[in-house]
Amino acid sequence: MDNLLEIRDLTYKKNLKTILNNINLNLQPGKIVALLGENGAGKTTLMRVISGMAKNYRGTVKLSGESKEAQRKARLSFTDSLTGFNNSTKIKDIVKFYEIIYQDFDGKQFEQLRQFMKLDSEMRLSEMSKGMREKLIIALAFSRKVDLYLLDEPFSGIDAMARKKIINSIILWKPEKSTILVSDHFVNEIASMLDEIVIIKDKTIYAHKSTEEIREHHKSVEDYYEGLYDAEDE
Amino acid sequence: MNFKDSLPIYIQIKEYLCRQIITGKLEPNQMIPSVRNLAKQLTVNVNTIQKALRQMINSGLLVTKRGEGNYVTSDKKLLEKIKRDMIVAEQRKFVQNMKSIGITPKQTHLILANHLK
Repeated sequence: MDNLLEIRDLTYKKNLKTILNNINLNLQPGKIVALLGENGAGKTTLMRVISGMAKNYRGTVKLSGESKEAQRKARLSFTDSLTGFNNSTKIKDIVKFYEIIYQDFDGKQFEQLRQFMKLDSEMRLSEMSKGMREKLIIALAFSRKVDLYLLDEPFSGIDAMARKKIINSIILWKPEKSTILVSDHFVNEIASMLDEIVIIKDKTIYAHKSTEEIREHHKSVEDYYEGLYDAEDE
Repeated sequence: MNFKDSLPIYIQIKEYLCRQIITGKLEPNQMIPSVRNLAKQLTVNVNTIQKALRQMINSGLLVTKRGEGNYVTSDKKLLEKIKRDMIVAEQRKFVQNMKSIGITPKQTHLILANHLK
C-alpha cells in the first residue's frame, strides 16, 4: 500500500539545539496512530513540522505524495489551540472564521459533531471547561475532509466522560482512508482504538509498532510502552 | 465490553460474537450490527472490527449479503461444530488452570463431580 505520510531523514534544530534528530516514519492510509513520548520529547514539534508550521528542517516530508508545505497544509487538519481567539468569542463565530479560512470546512458536519459533543453554539470560550474546549477543538478538526488529522494531546487534563466522547468521535468521524496521528503521554486509556503506536525518545523515533502485534506477544500496549523507559532506569 | 490488554482485540471480538451466536443472542440468519455500530459499541477502531469479521466470514460463521450487511450462518452443523470447539477450549482452559495450581486431572475430576452434585 502507498504511504500516506513519508518522512525521510528529518532533522530539526531551534536556536542551535537539536529537537528532532534523523526521523524516518511512514504511515499508511486509514490508520489511527498514537504518537507517544514524555513531555518535551518533541511530539508537538514533529506535528508542527508535518503541518508545515515549523520550517527550516532538513530532510523530506511527503503527504499524499506532496512535499511542498502549501500542498501539505491543504491535505491535513491540525488541532487548533484556539489561542488566537479572544476569550469572549462564541463558538458560532469561531465556526464562521473556519468557514472562511478553510474551503473544505463542512458546516453541516460541524453541526452534527457539535450536537454529538453537546456543545452550545452560543457559548463563549471563557465559559468553557477544559473538556468542552477539547471537544470543540476535535469537532473543528473533523469538520474538514483531509488525508491526515494531527491531534495534539486532546486527552490531557480532561475527565473520563469527555475522553470517552472524544474517543468515540475519532472512531465514528474518521473518514475511511484518512489517517489520524494523536499525541499523548499515556496510552492505557486509548489503546483499544489504536492501530499503531509511534514512540519518540531521545529526539528520534524509538519504536513504531502495531498494537495487535504487541498483544500477540501476550503483552499489553501499556506494558510495552512503559518497558521502554524501565529498561533505561536499570 | 472490557478487553484484556494482552490479547489481540480482534480475537476477543471474535470470541465475543461467537458467544453471542452460541448463546442465541444472535440467531441464525440474523443480521449483526454494522461495522460502525460495533466500533462505537465496543470503542475499538473500524480496522480491528473488520479483521474480526473477515475471519468469521472466512470460517463461514458469518455470511455477507452485498449491500446489506453480515448475517449469522444458518448452517446448523457449522454452529454445532463451533459450539463443540468452544466446549473443548473451555475444558482445556479449566484443566490447565487446575494443573497450574497443582491439581491433577484425577483430582480435578473428583472436585468437579463433587461441585456439580
